Amino acid sequence: MFFKHLLVLLLALTFAEAEAYVSQSIIKNVEKKYNKFAENRFIDMQQRLDALKNKSTIIKLNTINTFFNQVRYKSDMQNYKMSDYWATPWEFLARDAGDCEDYVIAKFFALKYLGIDPKKMYFTYVKSTQFKEAHMVLTYFETPTSEPLILDNNNRFVLPASKRPDLIPIYNFNGDILSKAAKKAHQKTTKKWDDLIQNTKKGKI
Amino acid sequence: MTLYKQLSFLVTLLLISIFIIVLGVNFKNSTDSVQEQLYADAKNTATSLSLSLASANGNISMMSTMINANFDNGSYQNITLMDMNGELLYERHSEEKTIDVPNWFIEMIPIKAPVASANVSAGWNPIGILNVQSSTSDAYQHLYEILCSLAVSFSITFVISVVILYILLIVLLRPLKEIRHQADAISNNRFIIQEYLPYTKDFSEVVKAMNIMVKKVEDIFNKANDALRRQSELMYKDEATGLYNRKYLLNKLPEYLKIDAQIPSGVCIMLSVNGVQEANKILGRQKVDKLYEDIARMLKQHSNDFENSLVVRMNGTEFFILLPRCSEVNGISIAEYMSHASDILLSKDLDRTKTFLTFGVYEYNHKQTVSQLLSASDYALSQAKLFTDKTHVYFHKTESDAEIMGKEEWREVIDFAIQHNTIHFDTYKAVNAGTKEVIHNVLTIAIISQDGQKYSYGKFIAPAITLGLDIEIYKKALVKIFKEPNAELKGSVCSLRLSSQYLEDTLTFSELKHLLDKYAKDLPFKLIIELPDKALSADSENLQLYKELFELHNIQLGVFEFIGESEDYRYLKELRPAYIKAEIEYLLSQTTQDLSSLQVVADSIGIDLIATGVMDKESLEKLQAIRIDKVQGRVTEMLS
Repeated sequence: MFFKHLLVLLLALTFAEAEAYVSQSIIKNVEKKYNKFAENRFIDMQQRLDALKNKSTIIKLNTINTFFNQVRYKSDMQNYKMSDYWATPWEFLARDAGDCEDYVIAKFFALKYLGIDPKKMYFTYVKSTQFKEAHMVLTYFETPTSEPLILDNNNRFVLPASKRPDLIPIYNFNGDILSKAAKKAHQKTTKKWDDLIQNTKKGKI
Repeated sequence: MTLYKQLSFLVTLLLISIFIIVLGVNFKNSTDSVQEQLYADAKNTATSLSLSLASANGNISMMSTMINANFDNGSYQNITLMDMNGELLYERHSEEKTIDVPNWFIEMIPIKAPVASANVSAGWNPIGILNVQSSTSDAYQHLYEILCSLAVSFSITFVISVVILYILLIVLLRPLKEIRHQADAISNNRFIIQEYLPYTKDFSEVVKAMNIMVKKVEDIFNKANDALRRQSELMYKDEATGLYNRKYLLNKLPEYLKIDAQIPSGVCIMLSVNGVQEANKILGRQKVDKLYEDIARMLKQHSNDFENSLVVRMNGTEFFILLPRCSEVNGISIAEYMSHASDILLSKDLDRTKTFLTFGVYEYNHKQTVSQLLSASDYALSQAKLFTDKTHVYFHKTESDAEIMGKEEWREVIDFAIQHNTIHFDTYKAVNAGTKEVIHNVLTIAIISQDGQKYSYGKFIAPAITLGLDIEIYKKALVKIFKEPNAELKGSVCSLRLSSQYLEDTLTFSELKHLLDKYAKDLPFKLIIELPDKALSADSENLQLYKELFELHNIQLGVFEFIGESEDYRYLKELRPAYIKAEIEYLLSQTTQDLSSLQVVADSIGIDLIATGVMDKESLEKLQAIRIDKVQGRVTEMLS
């Protein structure tokens, strides 16, 4: 117990300079609502993110992909009793379960926190020829025209698109970019994206 | 402002506010909904078009064609395609189309069509951003139609609601109307009991309280009225014979001896029963008492032919008969007849030399005082006793003072005043001696002759009555009051007496009505018409008409010559006069109990009691000792 408190204190001191990805209040609430293991996952996540701060982009992509791929797959209907729900990164990690969108969202925000330009990342709707179903992956474009790297929860490796013949790209989506493009006329992007941003800001677990 | 008006105003204001707010909220929701719809349409287009554009694989010309196809088949303001660096690749823009919506509406409701964006991809790679903005024209058209239909439906609902609420208000406030009616009645000293209690609890409590209050006041009045009625019976009646007594005669005589007496002269007969002691010895007391009753009946019978005649038992053995408009000759013959009749009444057992009736006959006129008349009657009776002849009747003639002016001279003066309208008003005051405040100005009529001589009411009215010109004078005086009111009296309260003769004349009413209808509303002072108590208590049909006429024109009534001889004082409650005027002699002669009952009757219905003919401070002090402060007479000149 003493160790745990000391760790929390050290973490607090460490992140006094830079804002932590996940706040102390969220960690406390996770512990209250879920359990100690959930809380530990958050602490672990924060530690890993901190360790990645000065690492290369490819290490960040790989580590984050691997970290979140450890979460169990669970459909929205099983998890939230509704279809097609975009969970916040906190809900995803706290429940330790989610579907393909939830992996993409968690990876996107973690990488964004690590300094990866969000303009280079897309939520890409794909068709999985292997599973013969609609699927979503996070794509990373070093340049707008370069071949993207695919962060997929079905594959533990971060591979270029050409190495993923099992995925057929359908549509790219980046709420951050759309928000900025539409900002002058309207703050909305899409309902799911806007809800997700609101829920994340509120620290919904 | 009445409660009904206040509530109506409030309800209307509330309804207007509610309807404006509801209309506003409805319209705001509609506007938001239309804006949402604009965004949803744009977003749908952006998403579906961006998916279509993905198939063009970055070919601008093909993507332009696809954008054109969408733009031309939809209602858009703008569709732009930008590359990932924000550079414009293709754009379609349209001017807003003309719509049938007023400019003020467009200026008042700024609709900003939201821009919906979507990423455009070519395979894995994002190649641009598509922005779609819907046209606002249709939205304005749609919103304007919504506003019109809302306005129409709300107006109809508003009118229906107002009508329903007003009807409800009328129904709900009906008891209040009744309460107000009752309150008005109370403030005017009328007593109404509300039979139906309002359903509303608060109103019901108020009505109950007011009913209790009214009932209490009415009870006080009724008790005092009963007391006064009983007392006046005891005070004025001789129990043995049922005739009036001496006190009544003393209070009543001023009415016959006033300057404007209806009947200015007549005969009074004073009679005495002599030898009562002998009669008692021979017949016994009971038979003698019966004899008195027979005599009383006989006297009444013989005086009945004379209007306003009086038969009074002055004391145990003396009676007094007043026969107005009876001549000297008639008076003597009636006395002689009664003397003969009394012979028949007297039992044969009695000694006629000892037991007999003597009659003193005296011809009076209105110029005499009460004491002069009684002294002369006494003298006639004493002479009758001294110089008894067969009929035991003695006639004493008045020493008539020579008239300064003859009948014809008076006719000339009065006719001139009537013809040339030289009617004038003298004013004197009725004053509250306690506060020194003037209660009202008393107007009395004076006339001016051709040679400029002024004749006061006291001087000219008797000849005018004799000549039958008094009513004409009253008519002229009333015309003068209403047509040429004295501006100096503006804002004050004035009183004017009308005689019984004037009220009884059949032609006066319509003339007075015409006069009041035309001029009463412009009268600069408040007028109180004083009428004699006798006329008011009689409550004739003719008088009812006058009462209604005066009430219609907000002219109050005053009562004068009050001597409390009525059998019931309810007429005062119904009439609600401003005051009762009674001669000081009458008021001072009352017992404490009588006066107290009279004051309770007056106080309970808000009537002032004013003593008239108060000449000096000594008399005033006596009046004040019995709590009468309001006076009229020469003493008012000493009070200022």
